[in-house]
Amino acid sequence: MSQLQQVKNTHYPLGYWQKVTLSILLIALIILPFADIEIVNFDPFLELTRMVDGLMTPDFFATEYLFQAIIQTVNFAILGVCLGLILGTPLALIYQHPIISGCCAFLRAIHEIFWALLFLQIFGLSPLTGILAITIPFAATFARVFHDIINQSSDSPLESIDSRADIISRFTYGKIAQVMPQLMAYTRYRFECALRSSAVLGFIGMPTLGFYMETAFRQGHYSEGAALLIIFIALIGTIRYWCPPKLLGVYLVIACVTLIDIPNVDSSLLVRFISQDILPSALANASRLAEVQWSSLYTWFSTLISEQAIPGALATITLALLALAVSHIVTLNAHAMASKHLWPTPLTWLGQLILLIGRSVPEYILAFIFLMLLGPSMLPAVIALAIHNGCVIAYLTVKQSNSIAPQQMQMSKLNQFNYHIMPSIYPNMMALMFYRFEIIVRETAVFGILGIMTLGFYIDSNFSEIRYSNALVLITCTALLNVAIDILSRRLLKLPKTSQTSC
Amino acid sequence: MNKMTKLFVLCALTLSVNVLVSINVSATTFTFTAIPDADESQLRTRFEKVALYLEKKLGVEVKYVPVKSYSAAVTAFKNNQVQLAWFGGLSGVQARRLVPGSKAIAQGYEDQFFKSYFIAHYSTGLAMSENFPDITQKTFTFGSKGSTSGRLMPQYYIEQHLKEKPQQAFKRVGFSGDHSRTIAQVQAGAYQVGAVNYTVWESALAAGKIDTNKVKVIWETPVYPDYQWTIRADVDAKFGKHFADKVQTALLNMDSPELLKSFPRSSFVKAENKDFQPVEDVAKQIGLID
Amino acid sequence: MITIDNLNLHYDKTAGYNTDIKETSTQVIFDLSLTINEGEKVAIIGPSGAGKSSLLHHLYQELQGNAALCSQRQGLVDNLSIYHNIFMGALARHHWLFNLVNLIRPFKKELSNVSSLCQQLELDQPLAKKVDKLSGGQRQRVALARALYQQQNIFIGDEPFSALDPLMASRLLETVLKRHKTVIMVMHDRELAMSAFDRVIALDKGHLVLDSQQHSVDHQQITALYQTSAVA
Repeated sequence: MSQLQQVKNTHYPLGYWQKVTLSILLIALIILPFADIEIVNFDPFLELTRMVDGLMTPDFFATEYLFQAIIQTVNFAILGVCLGLILGTPLALIYQHPIISGCCAFLRAIHEIFWALLFLQIFGLSPLTGILAITIPFAATFARVFHDIINQSSDSPLESIDSRADIISRFTYGKIAQVMPQLMAYTRYRFECALRSSAVLGFIGMPTLGFYMETAFRQGHYSEGAALLIIFIALIGTIRYWCPPKLLGVYLVIACVTLIDIPNVDSSLLVRFISQDILPSALANASRLAEVQWSSLYTWFSTLISEQAIPGALATITLALLALAVSHIVTLNAHAMASKHLWPTPLTWLGQLILLIGRSVPEYILAFIFLMLLGPSMLPAVIALAIHNGCVIAYLTVKQSNSIAPQQMQMSKLNQFNYHIMPSIYPNMMALMFYRFEIIVRETAVFGILGIMTLGFYIDSNFSEIRYSNALVLITCTALLNVAIDILSRRLLKLPKTSQTSC
Repeated sequence: MNKMTKLFVLCALTLSVNVLVSINVSATTFTFTAIPDADESQLRTRFEKVALYLEKKLGVEVKYVPVKSYSAAVTAFKNNQVQLAWFGGLSGVQARRLVPGSKAIAQGYEDQFFKSYFIAHYSTGLAMSENFPDITQKTFTFGSKGSTSGRLMPQYYIEQHLKEKPQQAFKRVGFSGDHSRTIAQVQAGAYQVGAVNYTVWESALAAGKIDTNKVKVIWETPVYPDYQWTIRADVDAKFGKHFADKVQTALLNMDSPELLKSFPRSSFVKAENKDFQPVEDVAKQIGLID
Repeated sequence: MITIDNLNLHYDKTAGYNTDIKETSTQVIFDLSLTINEGEKVAIIGPSGAGKSSLLHHLYQELQGNAALCSQRQGLVDNLSIYHNIFMGALARHHWLFNLVNLIRPFKKELSNVSSLCQQLELDQPLAKKVDKLSGGQRQRVALARALYQQQNIFIGDEPFSALDPLMASRLLETVLKRHKTVIMVMHDRELAMSAFDRVIALDKGHLVLDSQQHSVDHQQITALYQTSAVA
C-alpha cells in the first residue's frame, strides 16, 4: 500500500515493502558469486527426449500394487492430519507459553523425511513410522497457526457470556465458533500438504506413491514416472470432490481398516536406539561415566560440527536465500498467470492447472529433472524450490486476489491489476513468502538426498553409514538453524498480524 | 462430538485389532528383503515368486518386504523385521556388525569376483587403459552412498592411486543414487567420470541404452566380493533346528532362471563371513565404518 | 446493592478500561460516587464521550456473575446461528458437555425456549440463520435476546435499542423492565429514558452532573447539557 502514498514533494522515499523486496533480491545477488550454480551439461538431449517420450506415453499399468499405493498415500495423510489435529489443537491453547512455542518451533523445523528416518529405526517399515512422521511436524504447525487464528478472533462475545459459565463452554462458543471457518479452511489446506508429505515419505521407503515414483525416475522408467505424477496431481487437484469435510469421518474409518498391518512395536528397539545406537562411539563403549573418553568425544563433536554442520548450514542458507529470491519472481508471474483480473475465465483455468502442477510435483522430482538439464549444482535445487513454493504462494494469493472486486473505474485490465489488485495483495503475498521461507529451509533437506550438499546431504550420508549419533546431532543443528531463522525474521520484519497469513 | 467419540473408539478398535492380527502373523512368518543392483521395478511381483519358492522349500510362511535403500535393509535386519537379506558387500558387513552371530550363507556366482567400471564422457578424451586413469580435477559421480560397487571400492581405489580424498581430488563429487543414473549422468555430460557396477553396465549395454560414442569404460577395478545372503543368528531358535542350513540349501539349489533373473545372478554359491573381510578392511580404511 | 465511591477510570488504548494510571491512558471518569439499590430501574444519559460505557462496564465488572450485559459491541459470533448466539446466554446453566453437544445438535427444549423468546422480541427469522446475514436491527435484538436468556436479576444494557424504531424500542424496553428486578441502561433516547425509568443519571465529561433521585428531573437542564457539550 505504501507505494500509493500521497506525494508531498518530489522526494519520494521507498515504501516498506519496496525496501523488503529490494533487500531480498540484493541479498541473493550478493551471495550469488559464492553459490555453486554452474551449468555443466554437454548433451542433456538424449535423456530429455526420453523424459518427454515418457510424458507423452504415460504407462498406468507399469506400477505394481498401484491401487494400494494410492490408498496408503491417502491413509497416511488422513491419519497424520487427524492425529496432528488431536495433538496440535490443545497445544494451540497454551502456545503463548514460550517453552511450548519453542518446542513446537523445534519439532516443526525437522523435515518429515528426517522424522521418518528416525522412526524407521524404532518402528521399522511400519505405517506408524509414516503416520508419526507426518503427525509430529503437523501438530506443531497446527499449534502455531491455530493459536494465531484464535488470537485474531474478537474478545467481545466473551464479554457478554455469563462469567459463571465454565471455561470450555465460554471458549468454544465465544472464541472457537468465531474462527471455525478459518480453522477448517486451514485444515483442508494442510491435508493437501499432508498428501504431498505422504508421497515424499515414499522416497525413503514408505509404501506410498513416492516409493514407485522415485524408483521410476531414478531408473529412467519415465513412462511409469509420468503416469504416477499424473495420478498424484489428479489426486491433489480433486481433493474437494473426493474428500468433502462431511466424508472425513468415513475416510478415517476406511483409513484405519485398510492400513497395512502394523507390526508389533518392540520396545527393546526403542531402548536399544536410545541407549546404544544414537550414542557416539566414545559414549556407547563406556559403561560408566568415569570411563568416558572426553577428549575423543570432543574430537568427534568438533569434527562433526566443523566438517559437516557448518558447511552444510552455509549451503542450506545459501540455497534457501537464492530460492527465496527466485520464488518471489515465480510467485509474481504465476499469480499474474492465474489472475481473473488479467485474463478471461478459460485462460485462468489454464493458469490454475499450471499452479496445480507446480505445487503438486514433489520438489525432488522437479530437481531431478532440472539436474538432468542443467547438470549437478545448486541451480536445479534453486529452480525446483522456487517453482514449488512460488506456485503454492501464488495459489494462495490468487484465491485472495480473485475475491477482490474490481474498481469501478475506466482503466485497462493491466492498469487495474497494477494499481488496484497488486497493492492490495502485496503485503499478504510477502508475508506468505516469509512464512514460506521457514518451509524452504526445511525443504532444502530433500535435496540433500539428491546430492546437493546441504545439511540434509550430511544427515542422509550419516544414516546410510549407520551413524545415528552424527545424524541426530545434525538434525538438531537443522532444527536450531530453523528456529534461529524464524526468530530473526520475526525480529527484522514487522509482518502484518491481521492478514490470513498461514501456509 | 458424540459422533467423533464413536469414530475414535472405532478407530482405536480397528487399530488394535490390526496390531493383534499382525503379531500373530509375524510370530511365524519368515521375512526377507532384497534390493537388486539393477532393475528395481516390480520388486514385489518379482520377489514374491522367490518367497513362494522359499515357502515351498522351508515349510514356513515366507514374506518379502520391499525396501528403498541399503541402509533401510540394514535397519530392518537389525530390528529383526527381516531375518534374511540380500545385501551388498558393504551393507552385509554393516548388518553383521550390528547383529552379532548373523552370518553370510550364500553369494551370487558373479559376486565372488565382482568389479566396478570407471566410465567417462567422450569430452574428457580418456580411453580404456590398464593403469589408473588421470582423472584428477574432473567431476566425478559415485552411485548410491551405501553401495559397494558404486561407492566403497571405487573410493578405495581413488584414494589408493590419487592419495587424496575424492572431495579434494575432484572438482566436484556427486552421488547419483543409482547405477543406471550414474550411466545416464555421465552419458549426458553432467559428470565427466563415474563409477558403476559392471553387471549393470553390461546389461544396459546389451539393452542398447548406452551410446558408446558418448560414454565408455576407461578402467576396471580389481575383483572383490560383493552381494550375499545374510541370515540372523536367532532363526534356528525361532523356526526350528538347522533352519539356517535349510535356508542355505534352498538358496544354493535355486536354479529357476526366472527367479535368478530377479537378482540378477546365474546361481548362488556358498559364502562365509570371512569372505567379506576385504570389504570390511576397505570400509574401515576409507572411514565408512569405525 | 452496589455503591461506588470516588471512582476514577482511565482508558488505556492497549489494555482497555483500567483503574491504574498509566502515561498512555486518558482519564474518562472523575471522582464519581453512586449507589444503586436493588429493584431500581436506572437510565444513564449523556452526550457521546461522557464516559457512560466506561461506567457501565465498571458496574458490570463489580456485579460480576449477577448481571446480564447487552453491550454496544453486541459480541455476536457471526459464524453461529441465531439460536446458538441466543443460547450463549444459558451456557452457565448447563454442563460443558451439554453445551458442546448442543453446538452440534440443538436440543428440542432449548430450541422452543429460544423460539418463544424470539417471538417476544418480534424477531421472525429462522433460528438456523447465521447472524452475519441479519440486518443491524435484527442483530441488536439477537444480542438483546441473549442477554435476556441469561435470566439474571440485573440487566445492564448499553444502548440496546439504538438501531430500532422508537415504537419497537419502547415495547422491547417494557419486556426488559418486566423481566428484571434491577435494570441499568445507557439510553440514547432521552424522552424514553425519562418516561420509562424511575431514576435517570446524566454524565458529562466523566462527571456525574445529574441524578434524578436527588433532584427532580429538569428537562431543560438535560437539554442544556447536550447543547453545551455539542458546542464544546
